Amino acid sequence: MANETANKSKDMQYIIVGVGGQGILFTSRVLGKIAIDKGLPIVGSEVHGMAQRGGSVISHFKVGSFFGPLVSDGHADVVMAFDQKEGIRNLSFLKEGGTFLVNTNCAAMFENDHLKKYIADRKIRVCKFKGFHILDEHMEGNYLFLNVLILGAAAGLKIPGFEEDRVAAALKELAPPKHIDSNLKVFGLGIKAASA
Amino acid sequence: MPVKAMLLGNEAIAGAVVASGCQVATAYPGTPSSEILPAIAAVADRLNAPTVVEWGANEKVALEMAIGASFTGARACAVMKQVGLNVAADAFMTVALYRLKGGLLLISSDDPGPHSSQNEQDSRMFAMFAKVPVLDPSDAVEAALMVKDAFAISEKYSVLTMLRTTTRVAHCRQDIEQVETFEKGNEVKFERDLSRWVSLPAIVRVSHPLHNERIEKIRSEFETEWGKYNYEIPSKTKAKLGVIVSGVCFSTLKDLMKQWCRDDISILRIGTPYPLPHKITESFLARHDKVLVLEEPYPVIETQLMNRSKVDGRWNGVVPSAGELLPELIEKIVLSEIGVEAKKPDASELKSAIEELGLTARKPQLCAGCPHRSSFFIIKKALPNAISPSDIGCYSLAINQKGVDSSLCMGASVTMASGYYLAHKETGQERAVVATLGDSTFFHMGVPGLISAVYNRHAFVLCVLDNSITAMTGGQSNPGLTGKPRKDDLGVALPIESVVRGCGVTFVETVKAYDTASGMDAIKRAWEYAKTNKTPSVLIFKHPCMLLRVPQEKISVTVDNDKCVGCRYCIDNFGCPGLSFDESAKKVSVDKRYCVSCGVCAVVCPQKAIHKVAK
Ligand SMILES: Cc1ncc(C[n+]2csc(CCOP(=O)(O)OP(=O)(O)O)c2C)c(N)n1
Ligand code: SF4
Ligand code: SF4
Repeated sequence: MANETANKSKDMQYIIVGVGGQGILFTSRVLGKIAIDKGLPIVGSEVHGMAQRGGSVISHFKVGSFFGPLVSDGHADVVMAFDQKEGIRNLSFLKEGGTFLVNTNCAAMFENDHLKKYIADRKIRVCKFKGFHILDEHMEGNYLFLNVLILGAAAGLKIPGFEEDRVAAALKELAPPKHIDSNLKVFGLGIKAASA
Repeated sequence: MPVKAMLLGNEAIAGAVVASGCQVATAYPGTPSSEILPAIAAVADRLNAPTVVEWGANEKVALEMAIGASFTGARACAVMKQVGLNVAADAFMTVALYRLKGGLLLISSDDPGPHSSQNEQDSRMFAMFAKVPVLDPSDAVEAALMVKDAFAISEKYSVLTMLRTTTRVAHCRQDIEQVETFEKGNEVKFERDLSRWVSLPAIVRVSHPLHNERIEKIRSEFETEWGKYNYEIPSKTKAKLGVIVSGVCFSTLKDLMKQWCRDDISILRIGTPYPLPHKITESFLARHDKVLVLEEPYPVIETQLMNRSKVDGRWNGVVPSAGELLPELIEKIVLSEIGVEAKKPDASELKSAIEELGLTARKPQLCAGCPHRSSFFIIKKALPNAISPSDIGCYSLAINQKGVDSSLCMGASVTMASGYYLAHKETGQERAVVATLGDSTFFHMGVPGLISAVYNRHAFVLCVLDNSITAMTGGQSNPGLTGKPRKDDLGVALPIESVVRGCGVTFVETVKAYDTASGMDAIKRAWEYAKTNKTPSVLIFKHPCMLLRVPQEKISVTVDNDKCVGCRYCIDNFGCPGLSFDESAKKVSVDKRYCVSCGVCAVVCPQKAIHKVAK
C-alpha cells in the first residue's frame, strides 16, 4: 500500500488545449521526452486530422502507471491553455486543487461570477500570462513561439514534469537548430512571465 | 539496448511492419491511418531496409498492389482508413478466400466519435463480413506486437489478415522501444497456378469451403494459443458483473478498475474479435449471471455471442449505439451495472460560466490564406445560384462560407453533379451546377465520374482545387506530384490538365486561385460552354496549400473603420480567421494573430472597407 501511494504521487495527468495550428503537439513532445529521460512510462492522446484546421484541439497526457490515453473529467493535475476560451471550456478536466495555466488576451472573462465561484470552490490555482502581448513586445508578434512560451511559464511555476533544465535540454534536442537561440529567449520570457 | 522513444501508435505500427520483413507497403491516406506509411518509409530509410513504400491513387489500387506482391511470395501490407476499405471492398471480399503466398496484412483504422470521418463504421464488422481474421489492439505497444502476429497468421494459413486500429490507438503517444533490426523478406517467385490466382466460380466453389475450414482452425487457435490477447482478469473467477471488452475500452477500464479497487467485476479481454474464440466467451458467460460488452464502435463481439439473454450491450441500449466510449461514459455504464452511482464533481457553476460567456467549441475552418477560400468566393460570386456539390478534403470546410451544398464520399462531387443535372434536365429546368474537388480526390475517384459525364453529355462545371498536396490528411503526395515516401524515390507528376483532356473534356483552363477577377470570368465562360455544348467543362484553380509554406508575396491589409458598416458580409461569405468581428463595436478588424497577408480579402468588402496597405 505504502508502495502504491509512493507510485501515485509521481503520477501526473495533463490536459493541453488550444486551437489547431498553435503547435500544442510540441508541448506534449517535450513532456514525453522529459518523462522518458526519467524512465517514466507515458501514455497520451493527440488530435490529428480535421480539427487541426483551426478547430478546438486537446491533448491528453499521462505520466506514470496508466493504461488508457484519455484523462477522465476531474482528474487532471494541470490544464494548460494556449487559448483562454478553450481553457475555460475544458476546465472541468481539472481536479480539485489543480493548476490552470492560461494564456490570456481578455481579462474580463475571468470576472464572470460563476467562473470565479467555480475556481474558488474547486481551489484551483490559476496562473495567467499574456502570451500574445509578450510575443508582440519581444518577438515581433511571432505567435508561433507560444508553445515555447507556455513551456517557460510551466517551468517557472515549477509544475512537475517541466523542470527548467530538462525543458531547456529537450528544446535543444527537439526544436530545429536554427531556432535554438530564439527558443531559449522565449523560454526565458515564459519563466519570467510566470514569476511576474 | 533499444532506445525508448515517444512514438505515435501509427509510428509503432510502422516500425513493426518494417521489422516483420514487409517487402511492399502501400496506402492511401486517411485519418487516423495517414502517418503509418510515411513512418514505414522513415524506419526503412533509417535501417536501410529494402521495403518498397508507395501511395496508391486510391485504396483499391493500394490493396491490389499489395495483393499482387503477395501472389509472388513477397510479404506485403496495405494501409487505409475505414471508409477507404469501402473503396477497396471489391478486392477485399474476394481475396479473403484466396490461398495467398506472401504474408498479407491489411491495416484499417476506425474513427469512433467520429473525429475526422464521414461515418463511424467498424472495420471488424467488415472483416467478419468478408471472413477475414482480425486483431484489435488496446494500445500502441500491443498494436506493434499484433503486426508481427498478423503476418505470422497470414503466412501460416496463407490468409489475408487485418489489424484494426481506432483513433485512440493510432494517435496515442507511448514510450516504445524503437526497432533496430528487420527480418529478411521472402523469396519472390511468381508461379502460375490457376487454382489459386483466379476467381472463376468453379474455383470459388472449392476455395470457399476450404476457407471456412481454415477460419475454424484459426478460431480454435485463438481459443487455445492466443492467451496473450484473449485473457481474463482475474483468471477463471465469477464476479457480480463480467465485462467482455476489446480495443481501447480495455485500457480505459483498467485505469478505472485501479481507481475503484473493486472485486465484484471480472474482465474478459478479447483481442481477436473475428473469428471469435467461442470457447472462451461461452465459458465466461456460463460463469456469470450478468455480462456487459464494451467495444467500439459496432457490436461485433456482442453479435457473435451465442446467447445474449444475460448480456447487456448495444442490443438492449445499455451501451449507446453511436459515438465514442469515453472514460466518463464507461465509468457510468459499468458502475450502474453493479448498482453504484458514478460520483461527479458539481460543475454547474462552470456550465453557467461557459453559457454566459458564450463559449462553444471552435469549428475547424480553412486556414488564413487558404486558396480554397478564394476559389469558393469566386465561384459563388460568379454563379450565385449554382448548385455546389463538393467532395472530401479541406474544401469541405467551405460550408462555413456557404460554398458547399452537398458532400458524401470521395469522388461524389462529379457524379452527383451529373445527378443534379439529370434531374433538372428531366423536368426541363435549367440550373447551373459547379462541382468542386481537390487534386488528390480527382485522382482517387474523380476520373471515372468525369469520363461518365463526358460520355453521357452532362452539362456542369467541375473545378479542380489544385493545392499541390493532399492537405486534409496532413500533407501527403499524390499522382499530380513527384514526391514518394522513400528518400531519393521520385515519381512522375501527371498534369491534371492533360488527364482531364484525356477524359474527353474539351473546355479546360487553369486559373490562379487568388486571382478573383480572372477566376470569375473563367467560371462564367465555363458554364456557358458546358450549357451550349452539353458537356462538362473543367477549371483548375491553382495555388499551393499554406501547409507547404511556399514563399509568396506579402500583401498586408487593413480595415477602414469609417467605411466598415458592420454588415458581416466578409465574415459570412469569406470567413478568413484573419478577419475578426467585434460584436459590440459592430466593426471588422484584421486579427494579426492569424492573418498571413495573402491580400485576397481586399476585393471582398462591398463597401470597399478592406484595403491593401501600400508598402
Ligand atoms: C475513401 C476515403 N479515403 C480517404 C479519405 C480521407 N481523406 C479525407 S480528405 C482527403 C484528402 C483530400 O485531398 P484533396 O482532395 O487534395 O483536398 P485537400 O484536402 O488538399 O484540399 C482524404 C484522403 C476519405 N475520407 N475517404
Ligand atoms: S491545410 Fe491547406 S488546403 Fe487545408 S485549409 Fe489550410 S491552406 Fe487550405
Ligand atoms: S489578407 Fe485577408 S484573406 Fe489574407 S490572411 Fe489576411 S485577413 Fe485573411
